[in-house]
Amino acid sequence: MKAIMFVELKKHLQDKGLAFWMLILPILFTVLFISVFTTGDNEAVNQEIIQSIVPGYIVMFVFFIMISMVQVFIKDRDRGMTARLASTPLKSYYYLLGKWLPFTYIVIIQIVVLFLFGKVVYNVSLGQPIILLILSLFITFTVTAIGLAMALTVNTENMGIAITQIIALGGAMLSGLWMPLEMMPDFMQTIAHFLPQYWAHQSFQDAMAGTTQVSELLQTLGVLFAIGAAAFIIAIIRYPYFLKRAVK
Amino acid sequence: MLTIHNVTKHYDKTEALKDVSITIPGGTCYGLVGPNGAGKSTLIKMITSIIRDYEGKIEFNEKEITDKTKQKLGYVPQEIILEEDISAFSNLQMFGRLYNLKGNSLNHRIKEVLALIGLSDRGKDKVSTFSGGMKRRLNIGCALMHNPDLIIMDEPTVGIDPQSRKYIFKMIEDLKTAGKTVIYASHYMEEVEKLCDYVAFLDRGEMIENGAISELLQQYAIPSIYVKGSGILQDTLEQYGTVSQEDGAFILYTEKALEAMEHIISHCRENRLEVERLELVHPRLEDVFFRLTGSNLRD
Ligand SMILES: Nc1ncnc2c1ncn2[C@@H]1O[C@H](COP(=O)(O)OP(=O)(O)O)[C@@H](O)[C@H]1O
Ligand SMILES: [Mg+2]
Repeated sequence: MKAIMFVELKKHLQDKGLAFWMLILPILFTVLFISVFTTGDNEAVNQEIIQSIVPGYIVMFVFFIMISMVQVFIKDRDRGMTARLASTPLKSYYYLLGKWLPFTYIVIIQIVVLFLFGKVVYNVSLGQPIILLILSLFITFTVTAIGLAMALTVNTENMGIAITQIIALGGAMLSGLWMPLEMMPDFMQTIAHFLPQYWAHQSFQDAMAGTTQVSELLQTLGVLFAIGAAAFIIAIIRYPYFLKRAVK
Repeated sequence: MLTIHNVTKHYDKTEALKDVSITIPGGTCYGLVGPNGAGKSTLIKMITSIIRDYEGKIEFNEKEITDKTKQKLGYVPQEIILEEDISAFSNLQMFGRLYNLKGNSLNHRIKEVLALIGLSDRGKDKVSTFSGGMKRRLNIGCALMHNPDLIIMDEPTVGIDPQSRKYIFKMIEDLKTAGKTVIYASHYMEEVEKLCDYVAFLDRGEMIENGAISELLQQYAIPSIYVKGSGILQDTLEQYGTVSQEDGAFILYTEKALEAMEHIISHCRENRLEVERLELVHPRLEDVFFRLTGSNLRD
């Protein structure tokens, strides 16, 4: 498994597209939207907006890892690497693990870097860093599990990119990552409760402010884990079909 | 020794292999020959357990192929399948690790293989900067990292420069000298004739004939004579056997080649015809395939 993991990490580190989607773009968005929404004179209100925008864009952009996940798996499948590896003693589930783990590292690093960016540039408060880290681990699991399920299910890279856009952008809009939920119609607020983005965003904000309540935190972690676990099960179910197609 | 017992493989509608049985003795170079679509790659993917659902049985040293057996088996795929965005060194490292090589012995082996495939000075370069021939050689190198006993090569010389081809031939000779078993699939007859001791002919999923190349040549190839000269008529030659034309010369297939040659010489003398060339043609594997299938293998 290490064999696969090291190669994946090496490739990811060189991948400029990945760095752009995962770090540069969210930073650009954060800077842009903060400058647009904090034109008022009230410092307290501005800081509140910043405290929402920074985790908002983190939650939105962690989902873009799914594009890279789809690309890696579809490319391996279509150019015969998956089949090639089947001729080696590598167990097929170690192949999956070796591909998946590097993505989790990337997402964790992404979240940490973006929070640090918020801290250094906008002086956001990171009141409960341990809780932020725990939340980050859970959202990482959720996102990469959904990515895995999708990568093993879609037929083409384009389809994967389209679905990622829907999940990342649609989810961001419906979860109040772009504008406060209170400004949206009731039914949309209800929908938000079914989306992992909403829970992650809420709990991130609480942990930043240092006002986390245990029951709410557990609820968020439960939702994130349940969605991630469901996605992971789908991925495991899809995997044999993916392998079958890879043998072509 | 690798034994293939009565294997049959269907893809949706096409029957890629029909009841094929072949025994490949250890320490030999065994050619799998047939036109495109004959089923060579399919058979190889079954041996390497990439394809697992098929009828029949394949055994390596009398045992079914398991993860443990895979450790003794190296596969060179028909397509170039490498990680293009990392170095040759890293590619070899990955395959070494997949076969449980570690630490110093891994690094040592990478250097050895780089030298073997003639890429010692390019080891640190990204594969995407390599020429086709270099990638082909690395494709082979990846299969050799774990020093397997059985090396299975699927058309390793397709579309490469003569220099790389020569290099690959030398590598195969070295593997043979080291006592390895090599399975070599190709649709280039000359290559198989040059490299291999045994051959199996595949055509449209069926194994038509197999055996030692020298024996097959003796059994099937009809001796032939190459005749070139002015004024020699096809009709004259046809009384001795079948005749085909090639670049203004005739090739006469006959079981009594020497006798026919004598006749041709005296015929030419009598009629004052000039003979430019008249020689016995060494029988070719290509002729054997032609005899067996009635078709040529050329692209
Ligand atoms: N994945 C596949 N799906 C359907 N048919 C296939 C597939 N792979 C090969 N075939 C068919 O099986 C036959 C044998 O193919 P192959 O083993 O690749 O032959 P060769 O390697 O001798 O050129 C061909 O008719 C080919 O079209
Ligand atoms: Mg082939």
